[in-house]
Amino acid sequence: MPKLVVYVFSVFLALLLHSAVVGLLLVNWQAESSEPTQIEPLYINASLMRQNPIQTRKREELAAQLRAQQKKARQIAERNKALAGLNRDKKLEPVQIDEAVPKRVEPPPPQSTLSKARQEEQLKRQREELFRMQMEEELTLAVMEEQERRKAVTDDEKSMAFVAQIQQDIISNWSRPPSARNGMQALLRVFLVPTGEVVDVVVQESSGNEAFDRSAILAVQKAEQFQVPAVAIQFERHFREFTVLFRPEDLRL
Amino acid sequence: MNEPISILNLILNASVVVQIVMAILIMASLVSWVMIFQRIFVLSSIRRMANVFESEFWSGKDLRTIFIEIESVEADPIGIEHLFYSGFKEFTRSRQQYGTQAERIMQNVQRAMRVALSREEERMEASLPFLATVGSTSPYIGLFGTVWGIMNSFRGLANSNQASLSVVAPGISEALIATAIGLFAAIPAVIAYNRYSAQVEVIMNRFEAFSDEFSSILNRSIQNK
Repeated sequence: MPKLVVYVFSVFLALLLHSAVVGLLLVNWQAESSEPTQIEPLYINASLMRQNPIQTRKREELAAQLRAQQKKARQIAERNKALAGLNRDKKLEPVQIDEAVPKRVEPPPPQSTLSKARQEEQLKRQREELFRMQMEEELTLAVMEEQERRKAVTDDEKSMAFVAQIQQDIISNWSRPPSARNGMQALLRVFLVPTGEVVDVVVQESSGNEAFDRSAILAVQKAEQFQVPAVAIQFERHFREFTVLFRPEDLRL
Repeated sequence: MNEPISILNLILNASVVVQIVMAILIMASLVSWVMIFQRIFVLSSIRRMANVFESEFWSGKDLRTIFIEIESVEADPIGIEHLFYSGFKEFTRSRQQYGTQAERIMQNVQRAMRVALSREEERMEASLPFLATVGSTSPYIGLFGTVWGIMNSFRGLANSNQASLSVVAPGISEALIATAIGLFAAIPAVIAYNRYSAQVEVIMNRFEAFSDEFSSILNRSIQNK
């Protein structure tokens, strides 16, 4: 009977359709849910190594240059003084000059019949040259001084940046207790080692609320390690130990 | 949540009521699809048969030979053949009985054809009420499952201390699957119901027109004699 055949065939078709839909759904669903991608942590490999010899050499060279410059400056100053002395002498006995000065700058003129005007001119030229050298020296000194000053300023700025970073770290690790109220403040003293690790935290001025104090201490301890300047002097000056002021609305170092 | 939420896990972890609702809906969907496919075959075969028969009928063939052809087939006549068969059978029978009383003969023939027509309509519309029921109620059944599931998950939320989204989300998700299955069952059923009832109506009009034409032919044949 064809009726039965039709029935069986339509049952088969319906089953096929449903299983196809379910299969599609399962496959799609799985694909969607396996989506979270793992973010690879950033590994930093640290290894011990010798200090770069090139850098040290460069530094030494720089130091040598500096010393040389200073020496030169001193020499020039001396020469200046000498020149001043000469100038003073010249008024009394101008004849000495053409023996004392030209010897250094140029060989004495072969003609002994040098006119006096020419001698004077030479002298003037020498003096000018000396003056120019002196000016240059002063300029280089001034530039060096300026560099020193600027370096000091950047050092301060750098330490400010470190302070800001430390603030950030502490704030991000601080969970204010529900009992915290505006106006409370706790002063903590933090001790670091040169690697930036916290070795000790003590409450210097309690806020009066134990939970608040504890949360502040926990915030510092959770931060564990701060970024500190690698320069030992800076570290010693600002970061060996410092105080942190905790307020519920703000955080001040 | 470490394990991925698969739809299978959600269904298996659902509460019993929701599972029952899902089972009912899946069954309804399956059955309605079976009926949809079956209707496709049935209606198309009836239409095809009607085309073949009508061309044969209007080809000027002797009606008696057509009748004998239909009778010789073992199976019961379906569709337009059924109409013709019952009409012609009644015509020959009443003609033997009433001779030339044209009105009585025609009354009997028309009654017989009406019966055949209503049988055919019944046959064509066989599973349409089921499709209508699935189409109109399965969204509500699905909604019931969803409401029940959400109710449960919120009750669980009230009991747990930590109210987080990840506590409620699986429950709601699993509950919403019930609505999804309900809609999945309902939409094809509604579409199929509308389409098939329109088709049945077209075929029925055709049959009525045929039965009118056929009875007028028979009437003329009585009058001619």
